[in-house]
Amino acid sequence: MTCDATAAFTGAAVEAVREASRQGRLATREDVLAAMEAEGVFLSPVGLEAEAQAAPPEGRDALLAAVLATAPDIIAFQGLSGQTVYHAPDLLSRTYARILDRKGSPLLLMAEEIRANSRDYPRPVPVELFGAPPFGLAPEEIEQALRGMAASPDYQDITFTTAHTGAVYLFSTRHLEQSYAAFLAQRAESLVMNP
Amino acid sequence: MTITAGGFAGKVLRVDLSTGKISTLDTREKYGAMLGGTGLGYQVLWEEVPAGTGPFDVANKLIFATGALAGTSVPCSGRTAITTIFPSCWPKALVGSGHMGGQFAAKLKYAGYDAIIVEGKAERPVWLFIRDGRVELRDAAFLWGSGIHRTTLEISQEMGADCAVAAIGQAGEKLAPLATVVNSLSHSAGGVGGVMGSKNLKAIGVQGSGGLRIAGNKEQWERLVKFHLSILGANNQHVVPSFPTPESEYYNPGSRWVGEPGKRWGAARPPVEITGSIHDMSRIAYRTNSAAFFLGEQAWKHTVRGNGCTSCPIRCHTTLKVPAMATKYGLDEVAQGTCIALNFGRFFFPTLPGGPKGEAALEACMIGMNMADDMGIWSNYGQLQRDFIKLSRDGVFQAKLGSAEYAAIPWDKWRAGDPAFLLDIIPRIGERRGELGQVLSEGSGGLFGHWGISEEAWGADHATTYWKMGHPKHHANEDDGQCGVIINTQYNRDAQCHSHTNFVRNGLPVHEQKRLAGELWGSPDSVDAPGHYTRMNKYKAQRAKWALIRKELHDCLGLCNWMGPWVASPLKERGYRGDNSLESRFFSLATGMDLDREELDAAGERVFTLHRALTIRDMETVDMRAQHDHVPRWVYEDPKGAQPFTPGTIRMDRDDISRAMDMFYEVMGWDKSTGAPTREAYARLGLVDVGAALQAKNLLPEDKP
Repeated sequence: MTCDATAAFTGAAVEAVREASRQGRLATREDVLAAMEAEGVFLSPVGLEAEAQAAPPEGRDALLAAVLATAPDIIAFQGLSGQTVYHAPDLLSRTYARILDRKGSPLLLMAEEIRANSRDYPRPVPVELFGAPPFGLAPEEIEQALRGMAASPDYQDITFTTAHTGAVYLFSTRHLEQSYAAFLAQRAESLVMNP
Repeated sequence: MTITAGGFAGKVLRVDLSTGKISTLDTREKYGAMLGGTGLGYQVLWEEVPAGTGPFDVANKLIFATGALAGTSVPCSGRTAITTIFPSCWPKALVGSGHMGGQFAAKLKYAGYDAIIVEGKAERPVWLFIRDGRVELRDAAFLWGSGIHRTTLEISQEMGADCAVAAIGQAGEKLAPLATVVNSLSHSAGGVGGVMGSKNLKAIGVQGSGGLRIAGNKEQWERLVKFHLSILGANNQHVVPSFPTPESEYYNPGSRWVGEPGKRWGAARPPVEITGSIHDMSRIAYRTNSAAFFLGEQAWKHTVRGNGCTSCPIRCHTTLKVPAMATKYGLDEVAQGTCIALNFGRFFFPTLPGGPKGEAALEACMIGMNMADDMGIWSNYGQLQRDFIKLSRDGVFQAKLGSAEYAAIPWDKWRAGDPAFLLDIIPRIGERRGELGQVLSEGSGGLFGHWGISEEAWGADHATTYWKMGHPKHHANEDDGQCGVIINTQYNRDAQCHSHTNFVRNGLPVHEQKRLAGELWGSPDSVDAPGHYTRMNKYKAQRAKWALIRKELHDCLGLCNWMGPWVASPLKERGYRGDNSLESRFFSLATGMDLDREELDAAGERVFTLHRALTIRDMETVDMRAQHDHVPRWVYEDPKGAQPFTPGTIRMDRDDISRAMDMFYEVMGWDKSTGAPTREAYARLGLVDVGAALQAKNLLPEDKP
C-alpha cells in the first residue's frame, strides 16, 4: 500500500477501536473489520482497494493485526475467549476492559477483581460490589462463584472478613494478611461515621 | 507600595453594637499581610481583644471574614471564617474560628466588604442590615426566640430574595457554647453562635450589587478556572469514582464520588437522570450525593438536587425530600446538609432499626438537619452525640439528672431507635432546658466542669474519639498516622484540617499516592497506607506542616479546605497530579500581588504562627508542648493489644510521637522543648511586633529558664 493508504487504513482501524471503546465495548479484529467495512473504508478512493480490498479475509486480518500492534494508544490482550481484543485506554481503561472481558465468567471476574484490589490499593472489597454495575451479578451468581472458589485449589487465597456492621469483605491472602484485611474492612465500614 | 486592586472588595466593616457606630477600614492597608479570613480575625483579636477576655464578655469580638478569592469564579471559594474567643474551648476559652460556606461570603463582597468586625453589645436584640453602602442596625425583637428558618424568611422578605442571611437560633440566643451561625439554610459555622447571641445580634442580612475586579489577565484567569475544574474530583477531592467506570483506571468503594449515569434525583420535579460521561466537566455536580454516600441507595429517590456554595460545582449539601417527615413528625419534608450536619440526628443512636442506612436512619437524619439547623445547634464534630451515648450507657444521666427530668426523657424511644426521640432531646439542648440541656450544650467541657467527669478518662475511651480541650479528633491517626496526630495537637478546637485526609482518602492506590507524595513532599515515605504505619520521618513532618499551612491559607482566602488542596486529580493523562501551586496562581491573578507558592505558603505560615502566638498569650504559658499539644491516651492503645507499626492498628508509639513533635517543631522553626515559636521565627514571618509583645510577657522560649 502507499503511505497514504496505510495511514488511512490505520486511521480507520484505530477509529473503529476507539468507537467501540467509546461505546463501552472491547473490539476483536472481526469487529474492527466489520466496522471498517460498514464505513466503506475499502471503497474509499485512497487506494485501499488495490491491495487490502483484493486481499482474502485472512490477509486483511493479518494486515489489521500488524497495524493495531503498533497503533499508538491502542491496547491489546488475549481475552477469555482466546481472541485478541482491543481497546483505547483513554476511553476504556485497562481495569474496565478486564472486567468486560471476564463478565461471562463470574468466578474469574470476582477472583481477579478481589486479587487486584488486595494487591494494588490494598483493600478487601465488599461483596455488594459485585451486585452493582458494571459487574451486575445476581445474588445466586455471586453465591455460586464463592462456592466455586471455596471448592477449587486455584482460589484458596480468596477469603473473607466480616465487619462489625455484618458486611462481608473479600480479599486475597496472597496480598493481604487476615488481620490487616479485617482492619481495612472495619475502617471502610466506619467511613460514614467518620466524615 | 503600589497596590493593584483586585480580589479584595476593599473595605472592612466595623460595627460597634454598644454605640451603634458603623465605620470602615481599608482591607489591604490594614490587613493585607494577613490575607483575610482567619488571618484578619487573628489580627483583630491580637490587636484589640485583651488576653483573658471571655467568650461572652463585651470585650470579645466576632470577625466575619472572607478572603481574596471568595466571590470570584474560583471553584470552591464560598467560605467565610468567623473568628473569636471560642466558647467551647475548655478549660479556658481561647482563639478559634468557625467556618461556613453558602452564599454569605460572595454577597458580602459584592456589597463591598471583605469582613465585618462585630464588637460591643447591643442593648436590645438587633439584626444587621447591609445593602451595599447602606448599613443599619435594625430591631430584632420580633425575631428573638425564633429559629433560623423563620429569621431567614422574615429578613429575606424584608430585603429581597437575593440577600444572604446569617443567623443564630435559640441555642445562640441562650449563649450555648455549642451554637452555630447558619446562612443559606444549612451552611453553619460551629461554636460561634453563642458569641453572636451574647451581643444581642440575631442575624446579618447582606445584599450586594457590586462586582469584584480581577487584577490579572482575564484570559489567563479563565484558563486557570477551567484547569481547576478539570482537576476536580468529587466531595473531599475524592478523585476516583466509588465504582469502576469506563474512563477510570481506579475506583474506591469508599469514595464520595457516587454519581453515575443512570442514577436519578428522584424527588426533583421532574426527576433528573444523570446522563453522559460522569468525567465530563459539565457533570461535576452529579458526582457527589452526600446523602447517598451516608445513607445508601435509598437516598437517590429522595434527592431533589445538590445544593452548595457560590462558585462551587461540587454541591455537597444534598437536598432531600421525605414526605413522611410531615406526616409522621410534623416537620418540613425538605432538608439539606452534608457530612456531620447531615448525620446530626442519626448519630444520637447507637443502633437503628434497619441499620445505619435504613429508613429510620434517613428519618433521623432529616429530623436532625431540620431541627439543628433551625435551632442553631453545633454537634462539636459529632462529639455531642458520642458524649450523649457514653453518658447514657455509663448511667451518668441517671445519676446526675434530677429524677423528674430523667423520667421525662423518652428513653424507651432512644433504646428502640425511634427517630421521634429527637423531637424531645434536640429542643432540650437547643433551648438549654434542664440540667441536661445546660450541660450538653456546653460541649465536653460541660461534662468535665459540671459533673466532675475527668478529661483524662474521657480521652482514654477510644469510642469517644475525644482529643483535648473540649473537642474531638478530626482526621487523626485513624487516617494518617503521625501527620494526623500532629495536626490534631495544634488548634484550640477540633482541627478541621482536611489537607492531609483529602489526599490519603482520595481513592488512588497506595503506590500512586506514594509516587505523588514523593514529588510533593520529597519522599514516598511521607505517606503510609492507613493502619500500616511506619516510624516517623522528616518528610511526614514536612507534610504535616504543609497540611496545616494550606488549611490556614484556605481559611484566609475563602477557599474550601473540605475540598482542597488539589494536589491529586482524576486525570490519568496527568499521572493523577493536581496542582500544588493553584492557590498562589489564583491569588496572584486575582489581587495583582505576585506571590509564588513558597511566598504564599509563607504568608499562610505567618497566619498560623499568629494563631499560635494568640494561644500562648491567652494561656499565659510558653510551654505549648506540655500544656497544649496534648495527645489522648487512646491513641497509644489498641483494643486487641496490637503493637504500634503492625499492619491493622492505628496505635501510635509514645516515643515515636514525641520524635514526631520534635521534627514538626523543627520544620516550623520553633523551639523543640516548648513547641513555641522563637523570636527568630516571628521575625522571619514579619511578626517582629508579636515576638516583642510576647517577650515583654516572658512568653518567648528563649526566656524560659
